[in-house]
Amino acid sequence: MGRPVSPSDGVAMELAIEVRGLRKEYSDIKAVDGIDFEVRPGHIFSLLGPNGAGKTTTVEILEGLRDPTAGSAKVFGVDVTRDYRKIRERVGVLPQDFEPFDRLNPREAVGYWASLFDRRITAAETAATLETVGLTSRAETQAIHLSGGEKRRLGIAMALVGKPDLVFLDEPTTGLDPGARRELWGLIRALQSGGKTILLTTHYLDEAEQLADDVAIMNHGRIVARGSPDQLISQYGAGTTIVLAGAGQAGYDALQARGIVARQENGNVLVHVDDPSQVRWTLAKVASIEMPLKEIYTRRPTLEDVFLRLIGSHMKEGVLAE
Amino acid sequence: MKRILADAKAFGKQYLRSRTGTFFALAFPVILILLFGAIFSGSGTSTLPLYVQDLDNTPASHAFLDALNNTTILVYNPIPANANITSYISEHTISLALVIPRGFQQDVVNRTNVTVTLYGDPTQSSFGIAAAAVSGAITGFNFGVQGARPVVSLRTDTVSQRGTKYIDLFLPGIIGFTVLTTPLFGMTSICAEYRTRKYFKFLGTTKLSKAEWLVAKILFYVLLMFASVALIMAAGVLVFQMDGTLTPVAILLIIAGTVEFTSLGMLLGIFIKDQETSSAIANAIGFPMMFLAGSFFPIDLFPPYLRTVANLLPLTYLNQGLQATMVLGNNAAALVDLAITAVMALIFFVIPARALSWKAK
Repeated sequence: MGRPVSPSDGVAMELAIEVRGLRKEYSDIKAVDGIDFEVRPGHIFSLLGPNGAGKTTTVEILEGLRDPTAGSAKVFGVDVTRDYRKIRERVGVLPQDFEPFDRLNPREAVGYWASLFDRRITAAETAATLETVGLTSRAETQAIHLSGGEKRRLGIAMALVGKPDLVFLDEPTTGLDPGARRELWGLIRALQSGGKTILLTTHYLDEAEQLADDVAIMNHGRIVARGSPDQLISQYGAGTTIVLAGAGQAGYDALQARGIVARQENGNVLVHVDDPSQVRWTLAKVASIEMPLKEIYTRRPTLEDVFLRLIGSHMKEGVLAE
Repeated sequence: MKRILADAKAFGKQYLRSRTGTFFALAFPVILILLFGAIFSGSGTSTLPLYVQDLDNTPASHAFLDALNNTTILVYNPIPANANITSYISEHTISLALVIPRGFQQDVVNRTNVTVTLYGDPTQSSFGIAAAAVSGAITGFNFGVQGARPVVSLRTDTVSQRGTKYIDLFLPGIIGFTVLTTPLFGMTSICAEYRTRKYFKFLGTTKLSKAEWLVAKILFYVLLMFASVALIMAAGVLVFQMDGTLTPVAILLIIAGTVEFTSLGMLLGIFIKDQETSSAIANAIGFPMMFLAGSFFPIDLFPPYLRTVANLLPLTYLNQGLQATMVLGNNAAALVDLAITAVMALIFFVIPARALSWKAK
């Protein structure tokens, strides 16, 4: 995490994105309610939050597709509401729920999209772009016959044809199976290694934790927390969890009998320890208690714990649990 | 210009790879001309079956039947004299029947009035034809009985300056129909697809402008329409020996009409949210226009208020212009229709090019 890369165009420390006091209001709702954040070049910045949090609205303002009600949104120092055209070629976009053009194959789609940026793209460049996203073997297959993961990768290939410095990926893995998601994570990391700045919106906490250098957690149009995943975890996810795998109801009862506060989760029993100096002692204590047990280990907090603490509920597929 | 060509090329590939699009743009109009040709190519020589109950069965009634046969339009089939005429018509699903009453010969000899009765469905065009033919036969029979000789006689000729075959008269209507339906239905459907799949937003991130996008679609549809017209005419010439000629004014009308209806589709597309809305709007606009603008039925047959409606429809001027230049050889009249079509095309182009937004609200 935290691998800033200097942009190749010489604008050394120019911020890739700078958002100040951004608002987007409709007649009855505040979709974005005065948010501030900035993204440094070469970083993966993740807007994390449930559906309706305001992530896509924020991204679409930055893509020049929506006008904000108030505040400023700059990309590479350019106000996108006034002069988006100036930075259009430096930006690549993968929209939310991206569906490619059904009857074009990836080779044709990449060539077509490049021409819409006035870019002549050679066959070798097209092949290289498809190679980057792992679609070489599917280059001549009409998009309608591609899998969900392949379609998203084609979308990323189209986003890359203008050789952008900044890539917006709006929920790129939503709806994909775990294998396809992990493949896309590899691709996103490779893009960052190639010097791209990436703004990633997601409602997958593990995705943000795995990929992002910086995270902003959004809810109801506001940013409720910001920082690197490590910073957020240390700030909001205090404590360590001792996991008694397979302990079940018997283990839970045994701990309760000795006055140890615990909770059950998927057949495991979890004991939370706030004070790091007490972890060793507590671990020794619970290990000495007789109970059915597969294994015992400690777990540091995750972004999920941070999210739970900040928002007050779990999130599954972008929907907050009641 | 490169962006327009690239978009037109990509759109064209997708369109032609879709079997539905290809069928309705290229195959359906050919099927239509083949159908019209098959139905109407023999018009003027075809005959109507007329069922006749001759209750008199005398030399005079036989002479009258001969007069009916001599019209060359009616071929009579006998109905037994003892049959109940209304039951017989119903049981045999007969659309035209004539009854010659008893005493027919006696009345003819006595020069007293005698009435034959024609049964039929007045909503069918065949009834009018049969009534006119029977009336003609009666007039001829009366002349014969009176020993008179007709002074005025009739010769028929076609109004067509170019095509001399019946199918040629249908060609402008079929071309007009194709120029209306393919771009209009296509564009409304495309707008629905682009909106639901968020392609408009995606395109908004590129350098392609709305006007360029629309021009690209027009460019493709113009090429598609010429391919379609070529196929229609090839089918007409090969199968029905049609003489249709595509005049320069007709070519300009097809271009202007395609611009007009592609743009109209885009204009309607502004209000379209999904595929269901798309079908509803396209059908609501397209179908009445198809029938009221004279593609298949002459506007002169309409009641006055419908003629007024027809005069407000853009397709009317395309059909009229094509008819004028391709059938009547009246290019001056066709140029007026071309001008009206071009102005409407410009209006329909400008509104969506300005009103449609890549941006979300």
